[in-house]
Amino acid sequence: MKRRFITIAFWLTTLAAHSQESAPVYQKRKLALTDIQVLYSNYLQDGIHSAVTGGKGTEKLQVYAPDVVLNGKRDSTHRFSFEMGTDVITSASTDNIDYVVSSASRVDYRTHSRLSVNRLWTKKEVSAGISAGFSIESDYFSRQFGINFSKTNSSQSRTFSLDFQAYLDDLRWGRLNQDYWRPVKLIYPSELRDREWFTTYRRNSFNLNLNLSQVLNRRSNFRLYAGVAFQQGLLSTPFHRVYFADTALLRVEKLPATRLKIPFGFQFRHFAGQRLILKFDYSGYWDSFGILANGLQVEAAVKISPMFTVSGFGRWYGQHGSRYFKPYGEHLGSENFYTSDYDLAQIQSVKLGLGLRYAPYKDLGSRASWKAVDLRYAWYRRSDTLHAHILTLLVEFELGR
Amino acid sequence: MKIRFFLRFLPLILCISIGCETVKPYQKAYLNDHEMQDGQNSEAKFESYAESIREGASGQTDGKGSGGCGCN
Repeated sequence: MKRRFITIAFWLTTLAAHSQESAPVYQKRKLALTDIQVLYSNYLQDGIHSAVTGGKGTEKLQVYAPDVVLNGKRDSTHRFSFEMGTDVITSASTDNIDYVVSSASRVDYRTHSRLSVNRLWTKKEVSAGISAGFSIESDYFSRQFGINFSKTNSSQSRTFSLDFQAYLDDLRWGRLNQDYWRPVKLIYPSELRDREWFTTYRRNSFNLNLNLSQVLNRRSNFRLYAGVAFQQGLLSTPFHRVYFADTALLRVEKLPATRLKIPFGFQFRHFAGQRLILKFDYSGYWDSFGILANGLQVEAAVKISPMFTVSGFGRWYGQHGSRYFKPYGEHLGSENFYTSDYDLAQIQSVKLGLGLRYAPYKDLGSRASWKAVDLRYAWYRRSDTLHAHILTLLVEFELGR
Repeated sequence: MKIRFFLRFLPLILCISIGCETVKPYQKAYLNDHEMQDGQNSEAKFESYAESIREGASGQTDGKGSGGCGCN
């Protein structure tokens, strides 16, 4: 009896082994997982160098920015991502375009959305995807198209990726105005509307980014990146004023019609011991406006428990200003290009912050689970006294497991 | 100047000095941790977006994928 049982068991094992051998190395499997991220960011800013009023004046600004991101896996080879959000912007500086105080300050909206789909070819460790999106404000409409490609080596330790994005922008105002609901014209400062300052209202941007991610060992990885971006069209902001030293006449900001940007940098991550993760980021930048910049960010995340992580971070950024920038009333009327926008000035900035993450992976029933909640606060200060507080709350869910 | 040179060549120095070892899938517990993942920190996207506006440099890490005025 015992011998018969062993013989049957042996044959069953053989059959099972045979069926495993005849199966293909890789089979596409149904996963249907969707990761849902609900974000809410609050940005409070103040400063004294508004470009709308020629480099001096209030920069008080509040932005409330809810955002939803869906990252889905239809099966083990197809992925999609959908993002949609609206920024509610209360800006005291743009209220000064016409110097008519419409309320405590002017309210604007920015709605943006993006859809991307990716396909993975597992045997070749190659993935490719396309994306499309848009962003709309009262004085801005941006259409975005992109393609991406990545290749991972057989040991899954090195990934090379390439990403190309094109932004086709229209700077005419009127789309969100109830009298028009269509693009009408460029908006100039109220006292400078007697003539057309620009012959185009389009701005096109083309960004190419290259990334190389490398696993160094069981605890460390790094990523190198470099890119090139080219912009053409109306690169000035049409409602920025510029005041001059040698003439009482003021003008609208004027910048060249093309701009070449080269960002580059690297990131290093290291898991030290059982609880500490160290992150080190460097970013460099050069552009044809004369801006040369370096940024360093250091972050330490401590895992208090498998579910709870506390992180602290600090960032320093320094920039050599654009050759086209001068403060309020210092430009000469003979100059070809001029701006008093302090975003393009010689500045340094510091950012300090704290992050909390709680990731319980709690089952909510109906194949839904609560993955995590993140709370992050950052304090930002620029050397020209502009300062900001940024608070972000992220709640993450998963469907379909 | 020496610091700038060092920073630019740090990745190369790291790879040479530490060495890039092959890591098996079952040895990736630390590498697969959420904090070690690249592009996982959605909660920092708005910060990157704000920095790309308030500073002249932009291009790689602009946070939000879509364009926009950034003129407020």
